[in-house]
Amino acid sequence: MYDVIVAGGGHAGCEAALACARMGVTTLLVTIRRGDIARMPCNPAIGGLAKGQLVREIDALGGEMGLCIDHAGIQFRMLNRAKGPAVWSPRAQADKAAYHERMISAIEAEECLDLLEAEITGLAMADGSVTGVVTADGRELPAKKVILALGTFPNGLMHIGEKQIPGGREGEPPSCRLSDWLSGAGIERERLKTGTPPRLVKGSIDFSRCEVQPGDEEPSPFSFRTGRLVVEQIPCHITWTGEKTHAIINANIHRAPLFSGQIKGVGPRYCPSIEDKVVRFSEKPRHQIFLEPEGRDSEEIYVNGLSTSLPADVQLKMVRSVPGLEGAEIARYGYAIEYDYFPPHQIHSTMESKKIAGLYFAGQVNGTSGYEEAAAQGLIAGINAALALHGRGSFVPGRSEAYIGVLIDDLVTKEIREPYRMFTSRAEYRLSLRQDNADERLLRYAARFGLLPHGQWERMIAARKSIQRARRRLEAENVTAGEAGTVRAARLLQRPGVSIDDIEPLLTAGPLDLGKRERESLEIDLKYRGYIRRQARTAEKLKRMERRRIPDDFAYGEIEALSAEAREKLGKFRPETLGKAARLAGVRVSDVSVLMVFLEKAGAWRDADDR
Amino acid sequence: MQGDTIVALSTPPGSSGIAVIRISGPDSIGILEAMAPGARAWDPRTLHNRILRSGDGEMLDDVMAAVFHGPNSYTGEDAVEISCHGSMQIVSAIIEESIRAGARLAEPGEFTRRAYLSGKLDLAQAEAVADLIASETRLQARVALEHLEGGLSKKIAAIETRLRTQLAMVEVSIDFPEEDIETYASAELAAVSDEAMREISELLESEVAGGKLRRGIRITITGPRNAGKSSLYNALLGEERAIVSPIPGTTRDVLRERIHIGGFTYHLEDTAGLAETGCEIESEGMRKGREAAGAADLVLFVVDAGEGWTGGALEELEAHEGRNRLVVANKADLVPGGGETAAGSPTGGSRTVAVSAVTGEGLGRLREKIFEFTTNGEVSSVSRERIALNIRQGVALRRAEEALERLGKELGMNSPVEILSLEIREALDACGEVTGRSAAEDILCEIFSMFCIGK
Repeated sequence: MYDVIVAGGGHAGCEAALACARMGVTTLLVTIRRGDIARMPCNPAIGGLAKGQLVREIDALGGEMGLCIDHAGIQFRMLNRAKGPAVWSPRAQADKAAYHERMISAIEAEECLDLLEAEITGLAMADGSVTGVVTADGRELPAKKVILALGTFPNGLMHIGEKQIPGGREGEPPSCRLSDWLSGAGIERERLKTGTPPRLVKGSIDFSRCEVQPGDEEPSPFSFRTGRLVVEQIPCHITWTGEKTHAIINANIHRAPLFSGQIKGVGPRYCPSIEDKVVRFSEKPRHQIFLEPEGRDSEEIYVNGLSTSLPADVQLKMVRSVPGLEGAEIARYGYAIEYDYFPPHQIHSTMESKKIAGLYFAGQVNGTSGYEEAAAQGLIAGINAALALHGRGSFVPGRSEAYIGVLIDDLVTKEIREPYRMFTSRAEYRLSLRQDNADERLLRYAARFGLLPHGQWERMIAARKSIQRARRRLEAENVTAGEAGTVRAARLLQRPGVSIDDIEPLLTAGPLDLGKRERESLEIDLKYRGYIRRQARTAEKLKRMERRRIPDDFAYGEIEALSAEAREKLGKFRPETLGKAARLAGVRVSDVSVLMVFLEKAGAWRDADDR
Repeated sequence: MQGDTIVALSTPPGSSGIAVIRISGPDSIGILEAMAPGARAWDPRTLHNRILRSGDGEMLDDVMAAVFHGPNSYTGEDAVEISCHGSMQIVSAIIEESIRAGARLAEPGEFTRRAYLSGKLDLAQAEAVADLIASETRLQARVALEHLEGGLSKKIAAIETRLRTQLAMVEVSIDFPEEDIETYASAELAAVSDEAMREISELLESEVAGGKLRRGIRITITGPRNAGKSSLYNALLGEERAIVSPIPGTTRDVLRERIHIGGFTYHLEDTAGLAETGCEIESEGMRKGREAAGAADLVLFVVDAGEGWTGGALEELEAHEGRNRLVVANKADLVPGGGETAAGSPTGGSRTVAVSAVTGEGLGRLREKIFEFTTNGEVSSVSRERIALNIRQGVALRRAEEALERLGKELGMNSPVEILSLEIREALDACGEVTGRSAAEDILCEIFSMFCIGK
């Protein structure tokens, strides 16, 4: 018998299984095909705005994603370099095959972790708790906890024009029976849609007609564990659709499943198909297309920006209307996919189901989109399953602590009606949640859970100490700099365009003893100091509200002083804390006030951990 | 849990000309001390006579005040009670000064909630506390709604729309750096921000700080044609402001003037007489009159004591059902045996006053009634809520103004875009307190509708 069974070997499943195994609980990862472990079914890239921050956080919590992409990256860029450092985000093009192999070897290296090829069709239950899984061949595999990371497989239905193919991804069958089983067990499910563009044969593209997009001269790694990256980078290319392309799409729009009524699921507004873009923004004369290699030696090119579910013949015509792609051959057609998800008001912020104890949901099954969002949830589900098995308290980072915290809080307090993707604008405390300080924010948790490789914690403590020393010096020492006269070094640093490198030679007590990464982190902290302090005040208030827990079975229906809308929302989401209750749409300040009074009456606060 | 310090007017304004302002929370005593600089020590639970001053030394009022140290106070926290003169100007000024010194306006029922949470009230009172919160919230919503229809929130909403567009353009440049789209331009953002700041400053001057609220409590005179409404209006003003004539329908527009009763400022309105008419101008006049009566704190329904409830007057009175109203039986000098009986008083004797606008008979009693009906019960909690709303708006708009001022500075220094976003969000958040829109929450929706996103 295993302690934990993880269903699904995608980005969520892998992180969940690794976290469990590393925390010393016996784990079985069940996937339909071993060859599809940590596969990237859509774009060949990791990171990007807000997602790059997520990867850094996953890494600081002992996850695997950062190491995998550092190993498999073929082009690294720090996005938003021209803007302030709070919104810099690392992104890398991945060699998909190398990423998969790196993840497989991490999984195989774990003693507590086994791998099984099977399809899970149902769960075993006793007294409202999960006790194991049932596979397609009728076997029952017992487990104390089960984590579902099924991706787009539940009742997956792919669309290419009029053609509809049941499947979880291209070439893979869907998983229908498990979704039906969950529905039968009283778990609500809804439908979402997403899509992917066609892949082209590399040799058929005339890259000379496209713009070249190279990687950074000095690539920045994702993982705090990776030293200097030495990698031969491969460029991407940029081209544009034009009037000809749009005419082809418009002439065939009646054959687009998105407009014919064939697709019913809701797709993401931030990642529309090309037919959607052409219809909704008809005034736009051209749309940008990125040609991204699927791997270092791959013969396939991913056509970023041309996501579509138009029929195959239209896809080919459309592709060939684009400069550089006149002679292009399609290796694989783009498609849209509809799938079931289980709206996440049904889970706790530990990712555990409210309905079935011991069952966790992670990734696209919760209505999210993106490898990074999935991996983050897998990691949190894995950590919490293992903590529960060890009889320890749960772990959920807060909104002011991590993008992962923003992600989870949004999932359990918002109506998720389109695939949820992370954006930096979702984070109230964006200036503090930076890619450069994810280790400072989260590494201590990883250390506490035993998720850190030997020596990493000590290294971070040493680095942080050297930052503290340098910080004290900059706040204490005066420097004389031209027109500014004699000022405190830290003050001079707050001026735009002034860096530590500029100030260091002016310090009379000699140079600072700081590595490159630490130098960057300190500089950002000092530059943002005033703003971060301002935000810290509101963050503190938020934390106080988060500490006020609401019992799971709290009887909202009986409180007449609550507004009707608040009663309905509170009853549906059953927020864990007063802070989450206050964030529900439709719950007003006065409703929170009323709640406080009744919580006091119920004596609930006396059980709160800080009282 | 509480942590912060709250302030509110706790009595209806005007009872015996005195208003009581309460402050509760850790900073409450410090805030009082700051307003009474150089004053001798405060003995707990003892009334002291002190002069309160603003931060710039301007005298606010000569007050009686007491400090209470937690847990020996109503809320169980450190608390202060200030009894000041009942004028709205003074009440607003003291509350605004407390806010500047670090307090915030209390939420509905918050003093009682805090008392409850500090164990000052017994558990069985939870329902009562919750009901109080709910009813004060309804009152607040009603006052806010009445206000929403007014010009201020429309003007703020227009500013909000322009700022939201700019924020969307700023955010799209952060979250979608690789898109082929046109984003914000510093010069345009600066222009929008400056313009918004100027408009907000103007609004602060005209609408909030000096305007509306300070005009006082609204009283609207209405009733059938030729009942002598304008004569009564003139009589209450003590001057000939409205043209009076025996010709029915002389008054066609809403006239407004201030009067003072018992140290209070009232805003008295005369409106067109109510009658069936084919005249468009007259109908428009009546429509405006009804609108004015709808927003009034007190409706004076004037009938001709000799005519009584004839010609649809009763239906018109019923249209003001549920509203704070007084029936004035005018021309009482012409009716032998007194006007009250003649008027039939469907509102009951205590809500009917017989007067003669011509001889001045009964006017003293009418003034007393006006004072009574506007300083007690329902209408006075509405006025109290108005004061709170006005202060809240002032605080919010000043916050918006300050954020935009900082935004201008940041733009001048070429600060990074995420800092610009911080200040625009702050300004929007503050505007949202006036208009009731949650400021930046749905900025993503704005982005997706404005821009073609998605590589």
